[in-house]
Amino acid sequence: MTKSEFAFIALPISALVAPSTFAVQYLTVDQAQRAIFPGKSLTAAPAKLATAQRKAIEQASGVRVLHDEQQVWRVSGGGWFIVDEVVGKHEFITYAVGLNANGSVKQIEVMDYRETYGGEIRNENWRAQFVGKTSQSPLKLDRDIKNISGATLSCRHVTDGVKRLLAFYEIALKQS
Amino acid sequence: MARMKFLSALAAFLFCVSSANAHEAIFAWTYTTDLTPKGHGEFEQWITPRWEKEHGSYSVIDFREEFEYGVTDDFQIALYLNHHYVYANDDFPVANPAHPKKRLPGVYETGGEDVHAGHDPATPFDSYHFESVSFESIYRLLSPYKAPIGLALYFEPSVGDQETELEWKILLQKNWLEDRLVWALNINYELEFEKEEEGEWERDGVFEWFTGISYRFISNWSAGLEFWNHHEFADATVHEHSAYFIGPTIHYGGERWWATIGFLHQLPIGQAFTQDNKEFAAHDGYIFGDEHEEYYVRLRVGFNF
Repeated sequence: MTKSEFAFIALPISALVAPSTFAVQYLTVDQAQRAIFPGKSLTAAPAKLATAQRKAIEQASGVRVLHDEQQVWRVSGGGWFIVDEVVGKHEFITYAVGLNANGSVKQIEVMDYRETYGGEIRNENWRAQFVGKTSQSPLKLDRDIKNISGATLSCRHVTDGVKRLLAFYEIALKQS
Repeated sequence: MARMKFLSALAAFLFCVSSANAHEAIFAWTYTTDLTPKGHGEFEQWITPRWEKEHGSYSVIDFREEFEYGVTDDFQIALYLNHHYVYANDDFPVANPAHPKKRLPGVYETGGEDVHAGHDPATPFDSYHFESVSFESIYRLLSPYKAPIGLALYFEPSVGDQETELEWKILLQKNWLEDRLVWALNINYELEFEKEEEGEWERDGVFEWFTGISYRFISNWSAGLEFWNHHEFADATVHEHSAYFIGPTIHYGGERWWATIGFLHQLPIGQAFTQDNKEFAAHDGYIFGDEHEEYYVRLRVGFNF
């Protein structure tokens, strides 16, 4: 390859690698805790999954467990607060799930979302579909959870994530 | 070459200063079944330099501007403007006057598919040409995020002063590992009607397939490999040649914009089937002549709105 041909390719490549990302956070952990459990005190209770637990969660939910460590808080008076992340189109989506004392979903909050489409995922109406879901719920896109135009991947991954966390509750939290 | 350097520098500059933040073509050549959602649009700039024949100099930069719109979540339309810049010098084998179907060994002239008819073949050729306008429509039958495999149908007519084309594609996509590993396959058929010097139209057929696999190795960034096999048919019936290409692709996807660059190298395993292609196009396993080049680079940048 000649020097001029190298420059011909290298210049557009240098333009391509120039961009960098920056994070935008809609809710901190503290803000998400207060949004889901206002007035309650929460105690950190991080969980580390054993191999057998991870496999049991994957089998029960049909969703792969990406991290063995889970950020969990115990809520005064009963209930759990869990921070989790799932794969988005471009970046991880961080979200929080509040569980009632009986293991059903109290509320979910999207903490980070930086995708091109599907900002509606943060809207109350979309998030409200998860309220009351349990580990026995189907949690399937287009079945009991509506899709958002242009954000199918994100919607499916958040839905799968909640299904996985409900299985996590049954296997790792329920007895503790 | 100085002009080409200027154009590539200009392209690089434009991408650096464009306002940040798009939709997704994770491959440079292979289409996935991802579409622009209903009511949204995208502007996409394509720049494809291709160069190197068996002798002399030959460089082309193909430009495409694409305006895309999502009619429904599963139906997308797009308008393309196609134009190119070409520089050629001493690149094309010369026919033996006594035996026009044979080449004169070691003798070359300026020629190739992008060199205007009537140009003096003894001198270099340097030109910019607005080629055609294309209209694309893609209908998705299955989404890879809901069904085991994604499937879409593609149709694209192009109209230009020298050439009219009709192109059909079947697009397939399969995802694994939380959709971070993506495989796509395109099966394409194209009918080309080229205007000859005598004013008549020549018909050509192209069958080709592209495949690519790409993995999102960190947030926003994917890297992969693409493969292209191209078959050309004179009069849409006579199999002239088969050429093979392979190369890496890297993709960056942000919130409002994305960019993909891919490199393809022709593999020296091409096959020429007709006497004309065997004599004037095939060279050490490559297919050159007025058919292909050895190196291809494609940069695509998209802006969502």
